[in-house]
This record gives sequence, C-alpha cells and structure tokens, in this order.
Amino acid sequence: MYVESFPQFSEWFLPGLLLFLAVILSGAVLGLFFGYLVAAFRHGPFEAFYVVAQVVAEAVPDFLHTSPRRVVAMARLAIKEALRRRVVLVTFAIFALTILFGSWFMGGGSEKPEQIYVNFVLWGTQMLVLLMGLLLSAFSLPDDIKNKTIYTVVTKPVRSTEIILGRMLGFATVGTLLLVLMGLISYFFVWRSLDHSHLLVGPSQTVAAFTAVDTETQRSTVTGKRVSQNALYEAATTRDNDHWHRLEIIADVRSAEDPKPDSQDVIRTIKRADGKIEYQRVMCLPVGNHTHPVTVTGEGDNAQITLGNSVGYFRARVPIYCSQLTFYNREGSPSKKGTNVGKESKRRGYVDGGSASNRSTLSRATFSFDNVRENRFPDLDFVPLDLTLGVYRSYKGDIEKRVIAGLQFESIADKPDVENKFISEVIEFETNEFAVQTLPVPKKIVGRVVAPDGSLVEEGAYDLFDDFAGENGKLLIVLSCRDINQYIGVGKSDAYLRGQDQAYWWNFLKGYIGIWCQLMIMIALGVALSTFLGSPLVMLSAVAVMIVGFNSVFIRKLAEVDEQGNLINEQGGGPIESFVRVVTQQNTMVELDTGFFDTIIEKLDYLLVSMLQMLTYLAPNFGQLNFSNYLVHGYAVDNNQLLIGIATTGAFLMGLTLLGYFCLKTREIAK
Amino acid sequence: MATDTPAPSPPSESTQTPGRLEQSNPDYDPNVVIEAQNLTKIYRDFWGRQKVRALNALDLEVRKGEIFGLLGPNGSGKSTTIKLMLGLLFPTSGRAIVLGQNATDVAKNERIGYLPEESYLYKFLNAEETLDFYGRLFDIPAKVRKERVQELIQLVGLEKAKRRQLREYSKGMTRRIGLAQALINDPELILLDEPTSGLDPLGTRDMKDMILKLRDQGKTVVMCSHLLADVEDVCDRIAILFQGDLKEMGRVDSLLKVSGETQITAENIPESAHEEIRQLIAKHGGQNVVVDNPRTTLEDLFLNIVRESEDRPGMRPAGAAAEKKPSSDQTH
Ligand SMILES: Nc1ncnc2c1ncn2[C@@H]1O[C@H](COP(=O)(O)OP(=O)(O)O)[C@@H](O)[C@H]1O
Ligand SMILES: [Mg+2]
Repeated sequence: MYVESFPQFSEWFLPGLLLFLAVILSGAVLGLFFGYLVAAFRHGPFEAFYVVAQVVAEAVPDFLHTSPRRVVAMARLAIKEALRRRVVLVTFAIFALTILFGSWFMGGGSEKPEQIYVNFVLWGTQMLVLLMGLLLSAFSLPDDIKNKTIYTVVTKPVRSTEIILGRMLGFATVGTLLLVLMGLISYFFVWRSLDHSHLLVGPSQTVAAFTAVDTETQRSTVTGKRVSQNALYEAATTRDNDHWHRLEIIADVRSAEDPKPDSQDVIRTIKRADGKIEYQRVMCLPVGNHTHPVTVTGEGDNAQITLGNSVGYFRARVPIYCSQLTFYNREGSPSKKGTNVGKESKRRGYVDGGSASNRSTLSRATFSFDNVRENRFPDLDFVPLDLTLGVYRSYKGDIEKRVIAGLQFESIADKPDVENKFISEVIEFETNEFAVQTLPVPKKIVGRVVAPDGSLVEEGAYDLFDDFAGENGKLLIVLSCRDINQYIGVGKSDAYLRGQDQAYWWNFLKGYIGIWCQLMIMIALGVALSTFLGSPLVMLSAVAVMIVGFNSVFIRKLAEVDEQGNLINEQGGGPIESFVRVVTQQNTMVELDTGFFDTIIEKLDYLLVSMLQMLTYLAPNFGQLNFSNYLVHGYAVDNNQLLIGIATTGAFLMGLTLLGYFCLKTREIAK
Repeated sequence: MATDTPAPSPPSESTQTPGRLEQSNPDYDPNVVIEAQNLTKIYRDFWGRQKVRALNALDLEVRKGEIFGLLGPNGSGKSTTIKLMLGLLFPTSGRAIVLGQNATDVAKNERIGYLPEESYLYKFLNAEETLDFYGRLFDIPAKVRKERVQELIQLVGLEKAKRRQLREYSKGMTRRIGLAQALINDPELILLDEPTSGLDPLGTRDMKDMILKLRDQGKTVVMCSHLLADVEDVCDRIAILFQGDLKEMGRVDSLLKVSGETQITAENIPESAHEEIRQLIAKHGGQNVVVDNPRTTLEDLFLNIVRESEDRPGMRPAGAAAEKKPSSDQTH
C-alpha cells in the first residue's frame, strides 16, 4: 500500500477554503441565473428580476431566524419516522445476520484472516449504512409532499431551512447511533473471530511434545523448511482457526554477567563449560501476522507449556514520511526528477548507479525527516525503515542479480557554517523489487563527525536520535545506487520510518469516522435532491453520484488532458471517437481520417470528457473518505487525510443545505 | 365532542407581534384580517401550459371576529383560495395580505391555524405526539404546550384514543385531531377547509358549535364548504364561488332577504277565513299578524346562481340573486 499524494491539512485548508468559496459563489450565480430564466419565462423579464431579488432577500432572514427549537422538533419527527417505518430495524437485522453467518464463509485457510474480516465488516457496514441513509432521506420529503402532510407543517411558522436541517439532523442522529452500534459489534466480532490459542500436539503439554532438530540439514521434520538459527527442538500445535504454528526451542547463550532473559519462556538453564549460560527458550513461530506468547510454568521436563492468546493481529502502523525528497544527478547538482531513464513516472525519480567509465557518480536521493524523536518509535533495538524501490535495469546489467543500494545517515544542521555534522558510513543492502522491504536501522551507527569546513573531527559509533537527529530532530537519509549501469527508482511515499504503533481502537474509530462522513454526505444529498425530485429519481441520481464519487480518481485519470488538449489516456479516443471506431470497425491504432468530421468528433469528445471531469469535482469524493485500505493493511489512518475528509464533508453539507433550501423555498408546495 | 370544556385561554394582546405591514403601512386597517386583491390562480402543467383557471380576479376582505364562508360546488376554487392565503400556492397575479403580511411570509403563521380538506397528518404518530410535534413548532413554553395538548385532546373528545397511532383512526377521528392541531397555537385566524366533511350529524353539530365558540372568543374564522346547511348555520358573511368567479358576497341574512314581498304568519286561523283576512288586511292591520320579508332558503339562492351562471358565465353583481327579476343588463 502506498499513498498517492499526501497533502498536509495546513497546506490544503486555505486553498481548499478559497476553492470552496469560489464553487459556492459560482454555484449561487448560476442558480440565480437559471432561477431568473425560469421566472422570466413565467412572469416576463421585469417581474422576474423582482421575483429573484425577493428570494435572495428572504434567504438571509431565513437563515438568521432558523430556530434550533424547530430544527430539533423536525429532527425528532424524522427520528420517529425512521424508527417506526422499520428501515433502521431491517438494516440492523441484515447486518446482524451477516455477522452471525459471515464467519462461515470467511477467513478460512487464509494467512491473513484479519484482512478479510476487517475488509468485510467495513465494506458491509459502509454499504448498509449508506443504503439506509439513502432510503431514509430519499423517501422522507417526497412522501411528505405526496401525502400532503407537509401542508400542516409549512403552515406553521416553519422555515425551509428548518425542514431541511431538521431532516438531516434527525437522520444523521439515527445513522450515527446505528453506526456506533455496528462499529462496536464489528469490533467485537473481529476480535472474537481472530482470538484463539493452541495446544501442543504430543503426549503432554511439556518438553515431551518436542523432537530434536536435525543439526546436519537444519531442516524441519514437519515442514521441510529451514529452522531458525540456534534451534534445538521443534514441535507443532493443534489446528485452530484454520492454521497451526511451529514451536521451537532455541538456545539463547549469554555471558554470566548479562541479565537473564526478561520472559517466562525459559524451559532449561544450562551452565556451559565456557562459563556462559545457555537459556533454552520456547518460541512460537508466527503465521501471517500473528503469534502467541509462550508461558512456561516450572522448569525442566515437567514444566507446563502454555500458549497465550493471539497477538499481532490488530496493528495500526504509523509511517513517518519525509518532508522533502531531493534528487541529485551524476554531477551532484539537484535535479527535479532524478536521472531520466526514458520511462515517465509521475511518482518516482531515478538514482543513477554510474557507468564503467565513471564509477564515482554523485547521483543520489535525499529524504529529509523532521521531528525524529525517540518517543515516536517503538521500543526496539532498531528503527524500522520501510522501502519500496523500483529498479530500472540498463541492458548492460545482470538480470539475475539483485541490485545493491546504499543508505547513509546525516544530521541536518540548523546553522551549517558553525555546527559540526554527523555522517554515517554507507550501509549497503540488496534491493527487493516489487515488494516492501523493512530495513532495521540500528540505533548506534558507525560514522564520523565533520566540522563545517569539511575537516574530520572524530570517528566512532553515534546515536541515531541523540547525535544524528540531534536537538532539532532533523535527519537526512541518503539513498544511492551501488551497482553500475543500474538505476533505482523511488518516490516520496516509498520510504518511511515506522513509528510507534497507534492504539488499534483509535484507528478503527478513524475508519468509522470516514464511513460516518460518507453517511452524512449521503443523507444531505438525499434530502437536498428530494426537494425537487421524486423518490425514484433521488435514488437514481444519488447512486449515480455515489458511483462517480467512489471512482472519481479513476474518472479523472480517464479525462486527463495534456497541454495541447488531447486526452492522455487516449487509446482510440474519447467516447464519441470510440463509438465511431466501434461502428466503423476501425482499429484503435489507426488514426481517423483527418477532416471536418474528425475535428468535430475530437471537439465533442473534449467537451464530453471535460464535463465528466467537472462532474468528478462536483460529486463528493467518497473514495477519499474510505479508509478501509489503511485498516485492512494495518496502517494508521493518516490524520491529515482524516482532517481533510472531515472538512470536505462539512463543505458538502453546507453546499447541499443551500441547494435544498433554494429548491424548497421556490417550490410551490401545494402544486 | 365535549363542547362544555373550556377552550384554550384567549390570546393575551401582549404576546402578539404586529406584522411588518402593520407597522409600515399607514393604510393598514387592523380590523381587516384577510385582504385579497385581484387574486388569480392559473394551474399550469410542467411545460408552463395553462391547464385550469382555478381562481379569477378575486377581491375580498375578511374582517376581524367574523365567520366568513366560502361556498361553491366542487372544483369552484375554494381550496385554491385558502391555499393562496396560506402561501401554499403562489398567485399567478394579484396578492393576498393576511394579518397585515404577505401570504408567503412565514412569520404570519404564528397566528394562524389551518385545517386542510383532508387531515394530512403523520400516520406513525399518536394523537398526543401529533399535537406535541406541532406545538414544538411554536414558541410556546414546554409546560404550556403540555397542558394545551391535553386540553385540546379533551376538547375534541379523543381522550380514549390519544395513545393510538393515527393510522388506526377513522375519518371522523382524524378530522377531530386535525382541528386540534389547527388550534395548538391558539390562533387569531383559523382557516377551515370543509370542516364537516366526513363527520356524522352529531360530529357536524359539535364542529359547528365549536366554530361558533371560537368566534365568541374573538377569533376570525374562514371556512369553505359545499354544504349549504353548514354555511347557513354558522357564517356571518359568505362569498359564493363558481368556476373560479366570485358570484355573490354579503351578510347571510341580507343575502337571503327578498325585498318587494311581504309574508304574513298567523296562528289558528281556519282555512275559510283566509280570503276574509286578506281583505281585512287590505283595509286595516290585524292583531297577532306578523308582517315580514320572506326568506328564500340558501339552497334556492345557490341553485339559482348556479343555473344562472351556466347561462351567463362571468362576474355577477352582488345582491342580484335576491331580486325577484334581476335586470339582465346588470350581469355581464
Ligand atoms: N394542483 C392542481 N393542479 C391542477 N389543477 C388543480 C390543482 N388543484 C386544483 N386544481 C383545479 O382547480 C380547480 C379548483 O380546485 P379547488 O380549489 O380544489 O376546488 P374546491 O376546493 O372548490 O372543490 C379545479 O378545477 C381543480 O381541478
Ligand atoms: Mg376543496
């Protein structure tokens, strides 16, 4: 999983606000213009002007005098309607049934059942809740108008704003409560489904269940795979939750002065001839992402071995991305996108490994990290650095061999002309193409201290946090390619330090906040549309908006245009050109005859595609509020994304309220 | 209906907010509650084509404290008129001023009660919840609201059914709760669209008594009906509509008075004496003899107007129907 782009909330908010205001303003102007046209048709051009002016003049007091009391009264009515029409009950019943029977067809045999479970509950909750929001909001107002119950309401001192806001508030309350309930049940369900433990396979739950490892082959008798280093014995567990674990007893040899292992898994302690102490510890090997803690009560042959409940399923890993990525070319001067390898990638730049004639390339990529502090990282001996690297091989290279890359750590001085600088040695590693690789960055790194003038001050091992990151918490990681004629591709989101995990429940909650935002938009959309459409049309258009909203990134890509106004993802042209090709059976590679018709087709296509693109900006970006990817893969939901999502939701709610208000206000209720 | 229970207390003058026009318009007459000027409504279809001319240049005034009746056959534009006064419909031309404010102004609704032609209420609520909901839409303290809900339930005689959902109600019960709903804010002006429709004779009588009592409390009532007896019994003034045109307007008693004729009512006079009495009266006045204008029934008047209108559509001068032989050049 990688993040396509990650705007910061602070950077995004102001331009976002301006854009929002611009959209509202142009929407209002357009709305007034169309309102005027309709009124002019009905009443003539002069009267129409008066009519429009009156609507605008009444809008201000309507919003100012909107009474919370009446909004709440309308909301209470909406809640009663939702409950008494049993929509909520049915939704919940479907959810409960799915949860009850869902475990029958899920998770079986998978290495990572948590991904399937989390994906399932999130997706199911999202779809059910959105559908419920749509049903509630799409039928409420049209039914009221159809049954004329609205007559008795609007002849009370109720303003259009109150009718709309009351409904939104009522359905939002119902939806929120249901979502909370579903969230709690889901959390419990996922936890219950994954929580398990195992027993040892063997005559008893003691050492007797273990067999000695073949020291010659170092291969397991059970699986045939290589065993861990220092493994002495092995055993298997029972099959529970569709999997089993291998257990190993490994030798943990420590000198006499060293402290004992701080764990309860030591089964034997042997004093060796060389004076060292060998602690024989029972280990449970992980399956997928989880393992079980081992507890040994007593010591020796009769000690009871028990496996605890599963750990490792519920993780919310926190990637700490760099604040800036800079590429340098062979000559060592900064370049925007790194070395050009002839392959366009928006996301990645390439680092050059040099050539036989000029091995000493200065090409590199530098990631500068801010706020690298010890308390942000897990309590381990190392800091995990996750890398997803792409490799571009020139023809001269050896295809079989993995490309070697180098990492170097440097401090970033606030005042480079007076402060000394820490520079580490280059740590080489084999790159792992196509997959994430985790490099353990040791907390003590060998390197040197360099004075501002470039002279060496001293050499030694320095602390990653205290020395390299130092006071200002800034750290520079330099990535270079150590193989000639090879290129390593990397983007801003391809390298991150892994911070201390976030509390899982909080991450789960953030996922549900995303669903909640979608629900709010859906309800507002349904209510706003139902001020001028009947229920079936509201349903249809809301579903259409939802489909566009969930796929807006994809549609935007389809409709991307280059500087000349041609479609980038063109393969046989836009909708009309494709249609012409289908009808005339022309290959997509062949250019259409240039001429009058072709020009027209191209222009029309351009128009259609631009409209499509505009539509994606008008439709709420539901995909952006869908955080299930983070949760499923065990990453913490990015706080900036969350804030941006909430702000966007707020903007949509405001826009939709305005739309609904004007439509209801200008509607002749009794018609 | 328990008509002996007291209706909600009459509005105190201080709680009433004068309308905007009341303050700004020097011509405003506080005794005129509703004023329709040249009020016209044409229903159009989706494409803006004319479908029905439901109301044609209606001018009328409803004065404070009277019961005003709109009479007319089905489809004559009575409901349309009431909806225009409530702002549920927008006039095609002309305007309606209600309580000194434009009919589309929301604020006037604070002082208005409306009973639609059918009681359009939320079927999933029970009587108490219904009144409570409508009460919450007004600026009434919670305590007063709760009291008033119980008072009104008693007034319309629904104590036994107050916890039942409205979907289980009969037509008559729905009508009663509809009336209670219209009175929840103790309104000054009450608009009733066919208040007796769907009620049995007893219920009809109760409804009429209640309307009269509302007038006695100083409220203004506008009701429309196609039932002549209802209108004749309760209304002070009526307007007769036919196919969107105002045909007749005035006080009920004066509309039904036939001038140019004399009617004598006497008791215990044998048939044989009639001729003699006639002669006697011709000479001198007698005892115990009532000399009066005879009244036509409203039914006669109404049918007369309808028949006449079929011959000569359009406006008709007020009072013409009461003439024995209306001069034809007065109609157009
Ligand atoms: N919503 C509407 N659309 C089109 N025509 C309507 C509508 N409502 C009423 N009408 C027409 O307007 C006329 C007057 O109707 P209405 O005011 O309801 O009559 P009444 O209440 O006197 O029976 C009728 O001819 C009716 O068909
Ligand atoms: Mg009617």
